[in-house]
Amino acid sequence: MPLNIDIVQVLLHMLNFVILAGGLSLILYKPVRKFIDERRKSFEEREAENAKNAEENERLKAEYESKLAAFESETAAAKQKAEKEAASAAKAYIDSSKAEAAAIIAKAEKEAEKRKEQILDSAQTEIGELVIGAAQKLLAGTATPERTEALYDAFLKEAESKTARKEKL
Amino acid sequence: MNTKIKRIPGRTLFIIVWLALIVGLLAAIIILGLPGEKEESLREAMRDGVLHETNRIDLFGLEVNPGLISAFAVTAVLLLAALIIRIFVIPRFRTVPGKFQALLEKAVDLFSGMAKNNSPHRTGFVAAYIFSAGAYIFFGTLFELFGIQAVTTHGESVALPAPLADINGALAMGFISFFVILGAGLFANGPKGALRVLKDFSLPISMSFRLFGALLSGLLVTELVYYFSFLSFVVPVLVGVVFTLLHAVIQAYVLTTLVSIFYGEAVEPHEPKNKSGPALANASAETIDNKKEEE
Repeated sequence: MPLNIDIVQVLLHMLNFVILAGGLSLILYKPVRKFIDERRKSFEEREAENAKNAEENERLKAEYESKLAAFESETAAAKQKAEKEAASAAKAYIDSSKAEAAAIIAKAEKEAEKRKEQILDSAQTEIGELVIGAAQKLLAGTATPERTEALYDAFLKEAESKTARKEKL
Repeated sequence: MNTKIKRIPGRTLFIIVWLALIVGLLAAIIILGLPGEKEESLREAMRDGVLHETNRIDLFGLEVNPGLISAFAVTAVLLLAALIIRIFVIPRFRTVPGKFQALLEKAVDLFSGMAKNNSPHRTGFVAAYIFSAGAYIFFGTLFELFGIQAVTTHGESVALPAPLADINGALAMGFISFFVILGAGLFANGPKGALRVLKDFSLPISMSFRLFGALLSGLLVTELVYYFSFLSFVVPVLVGVVFTLLHAVIQAYVLTTLVSIFYGEAVEPHEPKNKSGPALANASAETIDNKKEEE
């Protein structure tokens, strides 16, 4: 045949290659391929697990954040309530203090008024006594117009000075 | 009717088909018998280097080209290496690979990726096939670098060439690849698939001669370099090694790429005849693709 083509040798080459191809694929290719596929599968599984864990972490984080937000709002509400209560307590205390102060002042004013009346009463009594004394003295001495005038002046001066002294008290 | 069809596991089927192929090829070799006497005498050393007509080697009473001996040697070495790797290396594979493990995984991934890219359907078989073909072409081409000597029928010593520098080896590789593609088309799409592959009847010839031509051209360039005595120092070390490495890589890449592309075309699912509009036809094709992906 042209080009030294020999059918038997072609077939022998074919036989040789068939043996080689079968042997190589069974002995070398498939075990290595199997190992690579198994490793890839295990990596994919790990990746899926990691993704799942990340998802779980994300969920827990969101849950924590929502709880934190709820706690913060609860704290803020409690704080607001406490402030409100404190403010109302302070107001009540101030109000009661004011009322007490007003009562004390009213009582003091009342007492002062009463005292004033008492002083006035006693002043009137003393004035009456002075008048009576003066009248008695007038009646007992000789009554001249000059003397009477002088007596009245003396009486009035004494009465004024007593009144002024009492007022000072 | 209650008929139970026992499904044969893929691995068992593969081994059965493999053994059947070996037995069939052996039978064909025995039936065809010894090659006829060649009375033609060749004088030119170059032509002999190309055609291996005078320097033949005796193989159990059968006169064969040195390329066939190279092919057997390469197969023996590769299978032995694979066996050693299988027994001593693969069981010790780690999740974080070492250098050698990374190299093996890279090689397997390279051919798997090529098969997936060029043939998205039924990638399993073609990936294993092109892995073996790639390894055979690559290491077979590098084999000639060792310059292993063999004794011819005339009692002369001859360096064993690359298996695919022999036209018989290149034809065998081309035809096997064609039969693989044809078989895959038949298996995936029935007779229509096979017919589609048969349309490219020139494929085995083109594949064979591409391989043969590429390796032959390398051989001729090397021969030319050796021919001039002033170039036969130092230069062959560089030229021989670099050219051989380039052939090994390029030819392994070209053949495996071509096989995976043609295989992909052969096993590509047929679109049903468009009776209800293009949208329905596309949807059906996608459904078939998805089902096969799931399988």
